[in-house]
Amino acid sequence: MAATLRDVTTYDLKLAAPLAAGFILFFVTPLVILLALSFQTDPQGGHYGLTQYVAFLGDSFSLGVLGSTLWLGVKVTVLTLLLGYPVAWLHQRSPAWARGLIMLLVLLPLLTSVVVRTFAWVVILGRQGIVNATLAWIGLIDTPLKLLYTEGGVVVALAQVQMPLMVLPIITALSRIDPNFADASSVLGAGHWRTFRKVILPLSLPGIVAGCLLTYAAAITAFITQSLIGGGQMLFMPMYIYQQASTLQNWPFAAAISIVFLVSVLVVVSIFNALGRLSRGYANA
Amino acid sequence: MLLTRRNLMQTALTLGAMHAFPGLTWAQARPLVFATFTGSWEEAHKAVLVPAFRKAAGNANIVLDPMLSVDQIAKVNAARSNPPIDVMLHDPGPALQAIAQDLVEPYPVEKSAYYNDLIPAAQVPMGPAPFFQVVGITYNPETVKTPPTSWADLWKPEFKGRVGITNLNSTLGTGFMVELAKMHGGSEANIDPAFKAIEALRPSLAAVAANPGQLATLFQQGQIDISPGNFNAIQILKARGVPVEFVIPKEGAIAFKTTIHIVKNSPNKELAFKLIEAALSPEVQATLMEEPYLIVPTNTKVAIKGELAKTLAKDHAEIAKKFVFQDWAKINEQRAAWIERFNREIRV
Repeated sequence: MAATLRDVTTYDLKLAAPLAAGFILFFVTPLVILLALSFQTDPQGGHYGLTQYVAFLGDSFSLGVLGSTLWLGVKVTVLTLLLGYPVAWLHQRSPAWARGLIMLLVLLPLLTSVVVRTFAWVVILGRQGIVNATLAWIGLIDTPLKLLYTEGGVVVALAQVQMPLMVLPIITALSRIDPNFADASSVLGAGHWRTFRKVILPLSLPGIVAGCLLTYAAAITAFITQSLIGGGQMLFMPMYIYQQASTLQNWPFAAAISIVFLVSVLVVVSIFNALGRLSRGYANA
Repeated sequence: MLLTRRNLMQTALTLGAMHAFPGLTWAQARPLVFATFTGSWEEAHKAVLVPAFRKAAGNANIVLDPMLSVDQIAKVNAARSNPPIDVMLHDPGPALQAIAQDLVEPYPVEKSAYYNDLIPAAQVPMGPAPFFQVVGITYNPETVKTPPTSWADLWKPEFKGRVGITNLNSTLGTGFMVELAKMHGGSEANIDPAFKAIEALRPSLAAVAANPGQLATLFQQGQIDISPGNFNAIQILKARGVPVEFVIPKEGAIAFKTTIHIVKNSPNKELAFKLIEAALSPEVQATLMEEPYLIVPTNTKVAIKGELAKTLAKDHAEIAKKFVFQDWAKINEQRAAWIERFNREIRV
């Protein structure tokens, strides 16, 4: 009898074929072309070599652009985590009606285009914007502060624009924690702070890692927000690639820096993933 | 025929494919595809140029596919033997790139009824210029009481922290740098003086925009009071009630030819020619010169009137005198190096 039973734990791989075909056609193929392009020595083509990579990696300015982009991602991720975690925690602690409201507020930004959200920040950070107007009204400043076209402005705007990517995974992680753990912790004599630090925070680590990963990847590649709030004096990788590919039509160099960017992001992502595995072990311990 | 699952699937797939790739069903007769620029250009072309073309070409089908010059080049380059665009519109820098990459046909000048009426600067055999873009000084008349008269006014101490410029990614930003170089003894071949001048302008800079469109936002938000600006972009802002004015500095306005080209291997060369003829015709150019378009004509048969005559030049002779055309062949040779240098030196 056992032989006629179908094994329900394995699936026929053919089911994944359409997706796999689409993936190969629209993702893997362009990536291979990009890689091939990055080895061309000049835009006219012909010769192949490592010229573009040498040009990028041997140039402190280009490495600086890469470094500042990766660092921007770290700053945005930290700020988003600091602002987002309390929101997720509040969501977890609220009655049902308030949960719906918080969820709506978290999701609302996702329903508007990123261009619109970013333009709102242009208005908020401008010379006559909300921040400057309020500070001047309280009397803290006489002349408007420069907020737009500064790195601080970019970090704040990106943190808000990417907030849902951080909050949603943390909400999921928090909702999986058995409420009895917190009760048990307090029965055993731990205060709120200790319970949070020793029980809630470690158990929500997988959500934090997932949220950080999403926010980080979105922040460093956010071409629109980076250029609208950052302006033309701040150069991050997406703008650098656009400039080389579009304005200068230097496709091989643009392809090479795209690959370098991709690899560096993969490195960061695998660090996050390793942390995620560690945190799962920690959470299960 | 039996209605089996198999041939039901086939029919569904075929219909789906035809829907997803409409090119399959067109075979040869595709409409003329004109890649104009986005925004006000598209509106102007849709309202004036397209009707004029359809009248001249017996109601032939035409599709406007607005995109940036550089994107037009990329698209045509990717499918040279069967280009998805028939007519391209270019700023001077990209126009020369397109010609150098062998993407455009020479214009059939001998067949053209209007080519010889164009001002000399607009007579380009690889693709004539139906319009100009003009760059002068833009300022906020509410905060700048005495209208500026020279590019040098941007360096005045009273504009400390109030000046906006764009980086060199745009035609406007690059043209402005060349003009600065010329003012300080440089040229298209020697940009050094311009970088020195920008270095001196640093304390005055409130913003270096990533593209000219951002300058409009910056004026709107009161972030900047004075900047180099495109005449047509300013007219749009003005029409929306933003306090901005445009003046031609005494050094002359920086003028860019906007050239129009027949794409090499286009299946619609005849129609493409008719569209370009319509764009060069005095009727179309005269209409586009009026409100709200205010596009500078290149056909000498068009008498300059209205707002253009008031702010820019009263006739074509004055245009020739007041407009500075730059040598984009020279500029293109070194533009990559300039952008590189601007990236490094002007970065915060």
